[in-house]
Amino acid sequence: MKKWFLPALVVLVGVVLTCIALFKGGDGDLAVEIKKAPFIMPAVHNVYADPEALDGKYYLFKAKLTNTSSTTLEDVTIKYRIPGFIEWTELGVIGQMFPGQSGVVACYPKFNEDITQKTTQSMEKVEIAIDWDGASDDDTVEEEFGFKMMSRNEFAYSNIAASEISGYSDLFDNNDLIACFVTPGDPVVKYYTQVVQEKVMKGEAASVSGKPEDAARFLMSLYEATRMAHMVYSGTKGIPTSADDVSSLVQTLRLPREVITGNTGLCIELSCFYASVMSAAGIDPVIYLIPGHAYPGFRMQGQYYAIEATMINGEGLGGIGTAQQAFQKGQEELQEFIKQAQAGNPAYTIVDIHELNQKGVRSMALADDTFLKQKIDQIAQNFGTLQGGGEQLLALSKGNGGGGNDGGGGNDGGGGGGGGNDGGGSVSGQRTSGPLSFAVPRGWSVRNRPFPQLPVYTLVAESPDGMANAAVYDLRAGSVEEAMGQLQQLFAQYGSELQYQVNGNHVEGATYSNMGTWMWSGTVGRGPQGIRLVAVGASDMAVQQYSGQLGSILSSIR
Amino acid sequence: MKNRILSLAFLLAAACTVRAQDMQQKIDMAINGLGDATINVSMTLAAQQWQMWNQNFGNDPAALKRDMERSMPAYFLEDFKLEKNDMERSFTVSLKAFGICKVDKKGRWTLETDQKNAQITELGDGKYMMVQSPKELGGTVQQTTMITFPSEASDIKLEKDAFGKTIFKFGMDAPASAGSLLLWIGLGLLLAGVVWLVLVLLR
Repeated sequence: MKKWFLPALVVLVGVVLTCIALFKGGDGDLAVEIKKAPFIMPAVHNVYADPEALDGKYYLFKAKLTNTSSTTLEDVTIKYRIPGFIEWTELGVIGQMFPGQSGVVACYPKFNEDITQKTTQSMEKVEIAIDWDGASDDDTVEEEFGFKMMSRNEFAYSNIAASEISGYSDLFDNNDLIACFVTPGDPVVKYYTQVVQEKVMKGEAASVSGKPEDAARFLMSLYEATRMAHMVYSGTKGIPTSADDVSSLVQTLRLPREVITGNTGLCIELSCFYASVMSAAGIDPVIYLIPGHAYPGFRMQGQYYAIEATMINGEGLGGIGTAQQAFQKGQEELQEFIKQAQAGNPAYTIVDIHELNQKGVRSMALADDTFLKQKIDQIAQNFGTLQGGGEQLLALSKGNGGGGNDGGGGNDGGGGGGGGNDGGGSVSGQRTSGPLSFAVPRGWSVRNRPFPQLPVYTLVAESPDGMANAAVYDLRAGSVEEAMGQLQQLFAQYGSELQYQVNGNHVEGATYSNMGTWMWSGTVGRGPQGIRLVAVGASDMAVQQYSGQLGSILSSIR
Repeated sequence: MKNRILSLAFLLAAACTVRAQDMQQKIDMAINGLGDATINVSMTLAAQQWQMWNQNFGNDPAALKRDMERSMPAYFLEDFKLEKNDMERSFTVSLKAFGICKVDKKGRWTLETDQKNAQITELGDGKYMMVQSPKELGGTVQQTTMITFPSEASDIKLEKDAFGKTIFKFGMDAPASAGSLLLWIGLGLLLAGVVWLVLVLLR
């Protein structure tokens, strides 16, 4: 008995192991890990549908599937549905999943456009089903989770879990999505734009001419249109809301069509309305967001402009401003905005609508509405009845000053509003301030501290194509030689070689870097920090082209 | 979903974007037999860049992890590690990304580069080098990405997807699993036992 006991035991162990290998886990098994969005905003439906939008940041859920069985699973299919919104939809097929292999799928749901008719909040459910070739009913993986579906007017400022919030920008992480509330394609907004272009502006060509002064006139005319329509400033609901572990301020935003026909709006709503109309007219709109406030503007030829749209106030509030005042106020706010943004204050951000559109942040789809268009016709009956303001606009359009505009051959958007702005990049045709000031050629943009890492670089006036500029450097130095030596060292730190020759208060030089050679001439003198250098130059490829303008700048230095 | 894995070092560099013509990043991506990737990103910075990077991330690795996860929202990333060398002003971030390579119904594997006409050089032994200067950083940062395919990978080819972007296509057999190992051991024991038993009984 002892002789055959050991071999029999070996046979038995072999049989057991073979059976385990053949039958254990043979049915397949998947482990599923899901990360989901806490809520869905109907206004953002076009972003959710686009995996490329903002690098795929806004998904409904993502799932990691891991084959925990010992067999290879074939054709693993992932489906999902949102009852009442999206029927069973195949999310993807993983051809083969080896034992231990993981696959990742992300869900970018394509909601029907009628989701933008949803006017109440609700709790909805996502159902997920995963199966594979040969899977039995018991094998099929079924998961589900709930999420909060906002109304079309609701906007949550952040999707970040409360425990992950580390600063102001996290609280407003969804700011880019404000572009979804800018609806230039809305038939109602398009109609309103046409009515304003015809009845208030009596024709406009800002998008065709590409001139900032034309766009500024558009902006002010739009303000006048709202004022003539007796549009008023008013608040809407904004409450902190929680979903899962996310706590966010959720604001109810009236859509631009509702602002037009309701004849009222809050700062952010007015900003979206202005941006919608400007975009419909072919101008590049921007919205400036600052703590507790927002105001609209536009970008043209690399320069930014703004208007304080809320100066319409209303008779009940008083203090109704003219278009001139609103534009001037906007430009003043813009200067402060640029100062704060350059200082790195994250609370000051620009929502550049067309840039975001290119990144996939597209506006919500809205259906035509005859009733709302009729309402616009009624509102338009007030257009042209404003006394004084209309004349003022006419004066503006003729470029004769219009009470405060920069004269000298036509309106200048920045000069007209700001009257001495030098931070907003809108001083075309004006002078810089301080010692060794110079005249900025028309069309050039001006920026303070263009390169914050180099604090001595205090200002630059730059040609639209960036091939020529006039740069101001303020150095803490007691002599010109010391100042130039400092500058040479600083440039070397950034991989550039500076060569120069000083002749009295005149300096000739060239800067070499891997971006090319920059030829320049300059003037040095006493400055606020010690020595100021104004260097006027261009890329060696563009020196000839800009020689006239460079000479004009040099001769204007005083 | 945009494949940002191969350009994941954007973020690391974005934290130190002073005018940085000579910034270089080295990215090592080792793919395993299951299509997951272990990624190491290393950089050496200039003095000022090092200060800025430390302010943003170096002194707060959790912020680095969080920002990397946010910049690649559609992926599942794990095993983050940060190693700093203050003396050399260099750092290495390593992480694991799941399901980077996809396999179709025919069993062909794909790795996307998310670039058109990617500059890729074959180094042999399943190793490839890709050099790029991301536009997002003004073309001032040169990234050298080394992609190492597992030994199981075969017939590696560079192709283009429907959007004209460069992709790797390759074949890969199923890795030996614990289940199949168990089966072979069981069969071996069974066979050996039977032979032994026969010999014992015949004696």
